[in-house]
Amino acid sequence: MSGGGAWQGNIKARLYERVRARGFDSLTAFADARPTVPLYALADELGDDDVAAVQVLSGLLAEAEQSKRVTRFVRDVLVRLLSQSLPNGWPAVLDDENLFKVAKALGSWSAYTPETHKERARLARAALRANPPPAGWRPLGPDDDLLRTILPDEEA
Amino acid sequence: MGDGAVGGGARSAALTRQAVLDATDEVKGSLRSVEAAFTKLAARPADPWGWSLTGVFTRYLDQGSKQVTWLQGAIGSATALTEGASEAGDTDMELGLLRMTGPKLQAAQFGTLLMAAWVDFLHLADAVLRNCPMCSTEKLFVDLHRVQGLMEPTITDLASLDPERVEAATTAMPELMGKLTREFDTLQRETRETMKLGGQIIAAMQAVEMVAMISTMKLALPRVPPSAPATLGVGLVMSSGGVMVGSRLVVSAEWVEMMRRLVQAGVISVPAVGAAVLIQGGQITMAQAHQDLPKGVREALGDSPEVRGMQVTGRAGAGMSDAPKHHVLPQEHREWFERRGFKGDMDIDQFCVRLEQAHHEAIHGGGDWKLGRTWPGEWNRRIMEALRDAEAEAGRMLTRNAVLDIVADRMKDYRIPMNFTPWRRR
Repeated sequence: MSGGGAWQGNIKARLYERVRARGFDSLTAFADARPTVPLYALADELGDDDVAAVQVLSGLLAEAEQSKRVTRFVRDVLVRLLSQSLPNGWPAVLDDENLFKVAKALGSWSAYTPETHKERARLARAALRANPPPAGWRPLGPDDDLLRTILPDEEA
Repeated sequence: MGDGAVGGGARSAALTRQAVLDATDEVKGSLRSVEAAFTKLAARPADPWGWSLTGVFTRYLDQGSKQVTWLQGAIGSATALTEGASEAGDTDMELGLLRMTGPKLQAAQFGTLLMAAWVDFLHLADAVLRNCPMCSTEKLFVDLHRVQGLMEPTITDLASLDPERVEAATTAMPELMGKLTREFDTLQRETRETMKLGGQIIAAMQAVEMVAMISTMKLALPRVPPSAPATLGVGLVMSSGGVMVGSRLVVSAEWVEMMRRLVQAGVISVPAVGAAVLIQGGQITMAQAHQDLPKGVREALGDSPEVRGMQVTGRAGAGMSDAPKHHVLPQEHREWFERRGFKGDMDIDQFCVRLEQAHHEAIHGGGDWKLGRTWPGEWNRRIMEALRDAEAEAGRMLTRNAVLDIVADRMKDYRIPMNFTPWRRR
């Protein structure tokens, strides 16, 4: 794990050059084609030693801000974090191990949510706690019904 | 990612952990025999004429015992970190923790070697005091003082446990061992000549000779080479049994395998292992020399372009060694981490990484894209938010391992290599 190259050179130019080389004209389009792939894996695909997941995250947010679809972006990030922590879906039993996996995904989500949406994300987390999703729930993208219930689009 | 070199899998982490445990046991064993030698020397009754390593010489014995204390501390730290590593859920974090044992193990290994050399000098001094009434006690005192002075800067560097200082001291060890060997040889030769002049009896002469001859007494110092070898490492050959010089086994194949593991996981550097092999092989020199091993031996020890590349960005890295250090676990939340088990050998000062300041080129990418600018503000905010909100979700305090698990995820997202270096307190 070197990773030394991720913070050198023109990061934005590199990111878009890689996205275009894979046949997409935006990061969002690239990510949408892989809706449940964790952020780190998106970064690995774009450059396994010179693209970082948080750079992909920043790029996706910038595009979402331009297209006024930030809420969708916030849901999209949660889908990827859940898929990373809970690849088999929402656990049936919340034992210590599963509780930690859920907590890790939701805590990380909070950290990756932009300031403008933090409060809404907090309410969404409270809703998930109050009414836990069914066992095996595994959102396949930002337009998942349950996700849109707890964090509906505002901009649209 | 160079995961092949680091060895991504859990099995590889287990093998690395075993190698660290084996290396720790080896150092522990050596240190025990050094300690036993100090104790024995201190307890030796004076001969009928009252000569022994007492009086003004006591300080030289104390000097040894003092070093044993920090050496045991270093071994204790390495053991604590290895235990912490075995509990870490994330494989990369486990390897990161195992890499943290490297400077401590290295310092203990070479510090013990120096103390073994010091034991050799004390044995010789003891033999001189008891068997050579013609020899000047004052001269012996001064000679030992000079030897101590030769070892002192290296011991200070090793005892600092600072990765860069330990590494520099280690790679200079073959040269130091060369100087010590020559000092030992000179002291012995002068004693022999004085005894000849005084018409000493054969038995007394033999007592002094014995110190140099009997391997169980002589712990560390190799024989003085006839003349300094033109090129270091010449004559060292890798065989199925281990590294040989001529027909003599320098280090065993098991030792080589253990070191190969440690080198490939980034726990110990190739130059450090090379220094150990050179010393064991008696390949010491007076002069600062480019200390390199023959290619076959280097490869057996796990040297490869990937490993070298890793070390460039790792703790022994050339370019990165000047880059500023940053706390991965934010300092302003020290107490929060202490309450979750980040204390002692695992306190937050142990978890620092070197990061280049914002690269000039990155400016062209726009302000949001500079790691130097976003660190530590953005990192600190994000890591604390992820930890605090995870804790709120779990409804209980996170364990140290749970914290490390979340930190490992964030480090991967930022592509921060898990090469930790301690914060240097000045």
